Amino acid sequence: MELSQKLVLALPKGRILEEVMPLVHAAGIIPEDDFTNPKSRKLEFETNIKHLNIIRVRAFDAATFVAFGAAHFGVVGNDVLQEFGYSDLYSPLDLNIGHCRLSLAMPEDDCEEDPREWSHIRVATKYPNLTREYYANRGVQAECIKLNGAMELAPKLGLSRRIVDLVSTGGTLRANQLKEVEVLTHITSRLVVNRPAFKTRPKEVNYWIDRFREALDNGSAA
Amino acid sequence: MNGPSKKVAGSAYARQALLPEGFRDQLAPKAEQEATLVRKLVDTFLSHGHDRVSPPVVEYEDSLLVGAGSTKGKQMFRLMDPDTQRMMAVRADMTIQMARLAATRLADSPRPLRLAYAGSVLRTKGSQIRPDRQFIQAGVELVGSDAIDAELEVIAISVEALEAVGIADLTLDLTIAPLAAMLCDGFGLELNVKDHVLEALDAKDIGALAELAPEPRAIFEKLLSAAGPAEDAVEVLSALELNGEAGKLVKRLASLVEMLGKRLPDMQITADPCETHGFEYKTGIGFALFAKGGSSELGRGGRYQVIHPDGHAEDATGFSVYLDSLMGAVEPLQPVSRVYLPKGTDASEGKKLREEGFRTIQGLTDGSDFEKEAARLGCSHVYAKGAISAI
Repeated sequence: MELSQKLVLALPKGRILEEVMPLVHAAGIIPEDDFTNPKSRKLEFETNIKHLNIIRVRAFDAATFVAFGAAHFGVVGNDVLQEFGYSDLYSPLDLNIGHCRLSLAMPEDDCEEDPREWSHIRVATKYPNLTREYYANRGVQAECIKLNGAMELAPKLGLSRRIVDLVSTGGTLRANQLKEVEVLTHITSRLVVNRPAFKTRPKEVNYWIDRFREALDNGSAA
Repeated sequence: MNGPSKKVAGSAYARQALLPEGFRDQLAPKAEQEATLVRKLVDTFLSHGHDRVSPPVVEYEDSLLVGAGSTKGKQMFRLMDPDTQRMMAVRADMTIQMARLAATRLADSPRPLRLAYAGSVLRTKGSQIRPDRQFIQAGVELVGSDAIDAELEVIAISVEALEAVGIADLTLDLTIAPLAAMLCDGFGLELNVKDHVLEALDAKDIGALAELAPEPRAIFEKLLSAAGPAEDAVEVLSALELNGEAGKLVKRLASLVEMLGKRLPDMQITADPCETHGFEYKTGIGFALFAKGGSSELGRGGRYQVIHPDGHAEDATGFSVYLDSLMGAVEPLQPVSRVYLPKGTDASEGKKLREEGFRTIQGLTDGSDFEKEAARLGCSHVYAKGAISAI
């Protein structure tokens, strides 16, 4: 389908990118060579489809670009969606990739306590909103320390007693003498769409959602 | 002594210009453009016989928390009335005030009641997407008619008003917010399941419906697939052959789409039976308007009910537009021609120029090099010896 004007797809850098590229290819989108060239400093890439461009940004930023309409659709984990709670985003497709979970963890040797007796707790996390919400539902005020990585260090060095972080195998937690207490949410990557883009260019946007859906169906059938 | 003393000059004084987050000084030419947009919008509303009303910025909080206002509680600034010791609130949405007027002061006015309004509203919190906490809202309400023509009328006025301020290529999106909830109740879904379904429909998240029983799931998946061009959506929805209230809503949507096709033949119309967010208090068809290629919604409206003090409900349809979104979608103002009148120019000559549509700047100082002075003051022309010349 020919695009009337520029359409931008936002993809997350790193681990998820490797998993999402087969789907992007299966949907019929092939980015220019610079996309796979590690020496290229480009951030926006053209594709084999005229007017369809790809941007490669951090996972959290992919949601922001799409929510503001700077990108029209993208791939974002539902952890990010829940953390931001953007209302102008649709997430029509679970891409069934990037599986992991957002979990609460504590030091292995810390004694179990009834959290209802606490009035507040300090938690190190990249997800302050989700964490605050989780504890608020238990009547506890969470004092969140926003960290961008190496959350596992926080309890060991006395920065906080709990952490809320992404867990895939649990190996990093064990290596740092932490145990998983509770899963806040299970995570997969979603195809997200900017609401105004969906409304004003319904045919084009639906066309691409359908291409990804097909890619997904063919992949899981194979 | 006014102004900064020498001691607080520099960064300390610059900080006095710092405003609370979400509030801004609107300067030229934006302030002028915004005021012009409001005036043009209201002019269109007035031309359709809607009477302008202007309620106060502050009311007792209980009167702002009724009906649709109950969802706005968190968004309202509160202050104590030192006189009565009662809590007051600053309006966060003028449509609630319109409903109050219709139910109280204007309860006995002939129906349908046609109101128009424009004014500033305040919100306690901005969002990341929309950090503003003060903006101008303008709109119309048509109270006391349950005819489908009322919806048609309000949509047509909204479109006309937006086109009149220079928005070309509008897209109209129709919603039927109550349908999803009706279907949930029809299937006897429990409250938490219903919330989950509505959320999933709102996000267009087909995967989240996987745990439902096959029958409701099939229906909701159809609803999701219906979102798109209005005629396709109506076809999908009609094929569901729904009964009762849900069926009536679908039929109403179908008729409205047909009527709109005739009334606004060039407009791109979409329909979305899954959208409920922000349409919670709509009791029937809702709608939103987008500028094509724009990144945000320009305005929205739809059918709701005005609840009277004696408990009876009255059907109403409204529309409102927020000026911050609108400002983002219109072209910037063209610079206007301003004519410099050197000191000593006869007053009658200036008057004549203004009547011809020029804006004049009166020179207040003597000086032969008035072209230089005119340029310094941002004038495009100078008036000398009975003629205008460009700089």
